[in-house]
Amino acid sequence: MRVVSVEMRDFRTYARAEARIGAGLTVVHGPNGAGKSNLLEGIYFGCTGRSPRTRSDRELIRFGAPATRVAVRLLDGEEPHELTVGYEAATGGAQAVKRMSADGAEVERLLDVPSRPLISVFMPDRLELLKGPPALRRAHLDQVVAAIWPARAQARREYSRVLAQRNALLARIRAGRASHAAMATWDRELASKALTLREQRAGAVNLLAEPFALKAGQLGCNGEVSIEYRPRSKALDEDQFVAELQERLDGDLERGFSGHGPHRDELAIVRDGRELRVYGSQGEQRLALLALLLAERSVLARERGRTPLMLLDDVMSELDGERRELLVGELSAAGQSVIATTDLGHVPTAGEAHVTRLRISPGTILQEAIAA
Amino acid sequence: MSTSYAPPVQRLVTELSKLPGIGNRTAQRLAFHILRTSPEDAVALAEAIREVKEKIGLCEVCFNLTDEARCRICQDPRRDQELICVVEEPSDVIPMERTHEYHGVYHVLGGALSPIDGVDPEDLKIAELLTRAASSQISVREVVLATNPTTTGEATALHIAEGLRQRAPQIKLTRLASGLPVGSDLEYADEVTLGKAFAGRRTV
Repeated sequence: MRVVSVEMRDFRTYARAEARIGAGLTVVHGPNGAGKSNLLEGIYFGCTGRSPRTRSDRELIRFGAPATRVAVRLLDGEEPHELTVGYEAATGGAQAVKRMSADGAEVERLLDVPSRPLISVFMPDRLELLKGPPALRRAHLDQVVAAIWPARAQARREYSRVLAQRNALLARIRAGRASHAAMATWDRELASKALTLREQRAGAVNLLAEPFALKAGQLGCNGEVSIEYRPRSKALDEDQFVAELQERLDGDLERGFSGHGPHRDELAIVRDGRELRVYGSQGEQRLALLALLLAERSVLARERGRTPLMLLDDVMSELDGERRELLVGELSAAGQSVIATTDLGHVPTAGEAHVTRLRISPGTILQEAIAA
Repeated sequence: MSTSYAPPVQRLVTELSKLPGIGNRTAQRLAFHILRTSPEDAVALAEAIREVKEKIGLCEVCFNLTDEARCRICQDPRRDQELICVVEEPSDVIPMERTHEYHGVYHVLGGALSPIDGVDPEDLKIAELLTRAASSQISVREVVLATNPTTTGEATALHIAEGLRQRAPQIKLTRLASGLPVGSDLEYADEVTLGKAFAGRRTV
């Protein structure tokens, strides 16, 4: 599965633009503010129906235009596919409309489309993943679980559903509208879903740990950098988890929601025993994020034989020459990747025949070299 | 615009829009349809609604719908009274009956546990099931928990299983299997169903 091209209309700075993406490495270069990030964002938006940078789709529409549309063409072996996303902002009385399609048929979520490529994105905004609240890291980890084992994606949803029911019961008991009669049942249901979810997350982190430490070291992170899954519960089986819940029942009833379970777990990125989230510099955090994405990529390649399309925005300026070479070597070895940079000289192999080059000047994309 | 209707029309629209799947728009269309029909047809509809509410009640044993004290299934002497299948709704009995594979009796709970919707164990016929299963008149052999494979259905099954284990530990408890639909291609199964089917695979 690979992305062949992206076509954008009224997307950010682009009135109308098309870019061909190479089978291996694609380098997007141009001055600051030309629209390199916008192109990366357009690829992401066309493949997922969402922006990696903003929650307000309205911002994606070119200033003054009523709507935007992005089409992504894909190749699965010899088989062509097309994904499209159209978004029209709310005007006057009309509501905003978002339409997504796969091979011409309208779909509700692009994430469920089997021909959709996996995407991994590194952008300055993504640093939130390391610095932000634990909920972001939990959600990310659950996405990694779903990417490695698609059939297990359900566990997170099932857990959330049971959690919502248990919380509703807590609120009802607190308000004197329900008895404790069903509490034990919901505790047991929660326990069984929680243990499944915890096991899956631990499994994913277990796969990631070694490649992450390795990549972090190679990219030049100082000290011993590691990734750790820190589940709330220490329970070894359902009975123990139920006991943990029961111990905390009074507190839960007081607050009206469940304070214990995988929805409070933490995924910690640690350097020499201290959390990078708190003690790391911005530069260290960026390297750690890059190491995490590369580790995920290698795990996916090994476990599923699929490498996600990597979108890397402004990553080279952080690295010295040796590490740039290492990164480009790794990206070129397998799969597709797109690197945006202000300075073509930062990408060691940019002039070679296997690299696709795109030059960006405000509003236009010039296809300099296309590699098959 | 609906405020300009004569009050009886408005009342009909309001009542119709309480039906499941009927919005205000459809309710208006149905109301005007009723206004256009002959008086006999309209009265026949009203009569049918009244009759069903007057004559149809719940079976005193299994809480299925019936026009007698006991439903036909509970009255049928060929039915195995020692085998009880627990379902959420009366409508769940019909597909089970269509299989012609099941010769036991039923117990209709009247819903599933769902605190979000305000459904607690007391709102369902769970206590009645426990009394029925533990009764000395019939020695129940097996209880099949055929609640839906949803969050609420699973929790309900678990809750009942827990209760039965305490009250009548000798009874065998079973749960319907979940897996691939018969006659379908593996290719078209969603990964969750296929995953469940894989976990529940059996030796041949």
